Amino acid sequence: MNQEHRPLTFVQAINEGIRTRMREDASTIVMGIDVAGAAGKADEGFIDHFGGTFSMTKGLIQEFGTSRVLDTPISETGFVGAGVGAAAAGLRPLVDMMFVGFIGVCGDQIFNNMAKMHYMFGGKVNLPITIQAQTAASGGNAAQHSETLYSIFAHFPGLKCVVPSDPYSAKGLQIAAMKDDDPVVVFQSTRLMGVNFDQHVPEDAYELPIGKSRIVRSGDDVTLIGIGTTTRTCIQAAESLAKQGYEAEVVDLLSISPLDEETILSSISKTRKVVIVDEDYPKCSVASELAALSAEKAFDLLDAPPKRVTAPHSSIPYSSVLEQLHFPSVEMVTNACLEVIN
Amino acid sequence: MVSTPVRALTYAQAVNESFHQEFERDPSVILMGEDVAGGAGRDEFEDAWGGVFKLTGGLIAKYGPDRVRDTPISENGFMGAAVGAAATGLRPIADLMFVGFVGVCGDQIFNNMSKMHYMFGGKVNLPLTVITSTGAGVGSAAQHSETLYSIFVHFPGLKCVAPSNPYNAKGLHTAAIRDNDPVIVFNNKLLMGGARGPGTGAGIHVPEDSYEFPIGKADRPREGTDVTLIGISYTTLQCLKAAEILEQKGFSAEVIDLLSLSPLDEDAILSSVKKTRNVVIVDEDYPMCSMASELSALIAEQAFDFLDSPPIRLCAPHASVPYSPVLEAEYIPSPEKIAQSALSILE
Repeated sequence: MNQEHRPLTFVQAINEGIRTRMREDASTIVMGIDVAGAAGKADEGFIDHFGGTFSMTKGLIQEFGTSRVLDTPISETGFVGAGVGAAAAGLRPLVDMMFVGFIGVCGDQIFNNMAKMHYMFGGKVNLPITIQAQTAASGGNAAQHSETLYSIFAHFPGLKCVVPSDPYSAKGLQIAAMKDDDPVVVFQSTRLMGVNFDQHVPEDAYELPIGKSRIVRSGDDVTLIGIGTTTRTCIQAAESLAKQGYEAEVVDLLSISPLDEETILSSISKTRKVVIVDEDYPKCSVASELAALSAEKAFDLLDAPPKRVTAPHSSIPYSSVLEQLHFPSVEMVTNACLEVIN
Repeated sequence: MVSTPVRALTYAQAVNESFHQEFERDPSVILMGEDVAGGAGRDEFEDAWGGVFKLTGGLIAKYGPDRVRDTPISENGFMGAAVGAAATGLRPIADLMFVGFVGVCGDQIFNNMSKMHYMFGGKVNLPLTVITSTGAGVGSAAQHSETLYSIFVHFPGLKCVAPSNPYNAKGLHTAAIRDNDPVIVFNNKLLMGGARGPGTGAGIHVPEDSYEFPIGKADRPREGTDVTLIGISYTTLQCLKAAEILEQKGFSAEVIDLLSLSPLDEDAILSSVKKTRNVVIVDEDYPMCSMASELSALIAEQAFDFLDSPPIRLCAPHASVPYSPVLEAEYIPSPEKIAQSALSILE
């Protein structure tokens, strides 16, 4: 019998994850700019015009109606705040903030309310809210709409942060985030949305546990740690290294807060070398955190210093030529590994 | 020989003196923020505040409301106005009272201030200074006690400095105001003191003449050979106290006062660590993706073969700042904990 093969795109997998949770739990709602698009103008044939800028929420308004799928004005601080309040009062909102660089217009709700309310109310209030934000550049969105920035969210206690790397993890983490009783921020790289993964995604509801990384390729010579898009870059670099006779192990981080220290450190203790690949700005980043963690907790096991391969400490260029060079490439990662191995 | 005259100022007085001197020197310097004067437009109340931490007192009386602008509680508005004013030729200082208010003006700071020079192809300079208060220890609870410089440092296009005493506070504010790029100055509440007193570390000599402390340079307030303690702002004082404890135990600690968080003075950090071969990084900010992480990563990458022991980070816990004074006192890394961390690698 043929093994079932049900390939979904990254976006379709997220859409299925959201739909699964909305069917399972009537308290789940979705809010954001153009999550439907032209809601309220059904007569004119405009309903679900967008289904989200990246079509992640397409079709939800037909199935669940306007009371559970809420098109909002361009008012991030308003609707993220409404999401926080709704979560405190018993709903399970999924709030789409579109580009992560919009954090500046809703930071107070996320950093001061969402991250702190459970603590400030002495544990009496839970906030089962999920934020999804789109990261990275995928074709000329320039400096303000191409950032990654998960590092600044991971800085705050009280926020769980996850970064799927393919359709399978995208669906599993979306469901886990929306089931979690704490605030979870899901970072969806726009650079994964056009990729043909040809990956089987089960139709059933399944969760990937928040706080767990996974090994997507085994090897003994060096550990590569990828996050979202860069996991794919790491896998491709590992293939290139294999041709040169080196076996790289690839850790797909998936959860940036909390970190799966055990998986990271046990891989490093085996390979004794680590290259961390991150498309966020480098300073005070997840890459820094991982390099620090590796140095502190695996110092005696390392044969070479931990190495970070990241975007440069500069704004993201609009020029497509420069944009390509901004993000860590397979060649950069491969070369970094060779440097560490030799 | 004549001994050096001591002209003792508090941290707030030193910053205030920098502002007065820069206002006098350059008429394009202006100041905006909530209660930077207090009661502006009402003669009987004018300068009632002079800033919540008294950094800006006396400026309105001397330079008037055109240059010292009390704003409404509207961070996004006045921070944006400051960015625009800087782009069009003024040299504004904007006061973001508590750093935790970044959430209500993040767009102006992260998307405009940090990126405009780049996005306009270098044709626009933003000679803008943001001052903001940081730190726990005064019972201001979770939303008004954060440190958060780490998230500003994350962004390219922002220079970030954190003074640790009245002398470098004056010099760094002057340097920040004169800089042609956006600079954020993080002023720790315990160092500023205010209503509670003159502030920790007050009373050192501060020259009356105007001077700059260079952005991008760390300081080394104590030399030693056994371990490097890296402090940032208030934790530098904690490191100096820890160094005394260590001395009593027979160990010689070198203290690096980071001062400039972005750009980093890699030379000063690495040369100290290469000498002592051991390092403890002390940071009051949340630990994840922090300055401490950055320093630990930098040292691991660039000085790996020199280290006798793993770099150690001593930070606040990954938890919100407690309101309870008992818990709050435990929150900030103490000299005892710093000494203990150092001893754990030295003994």
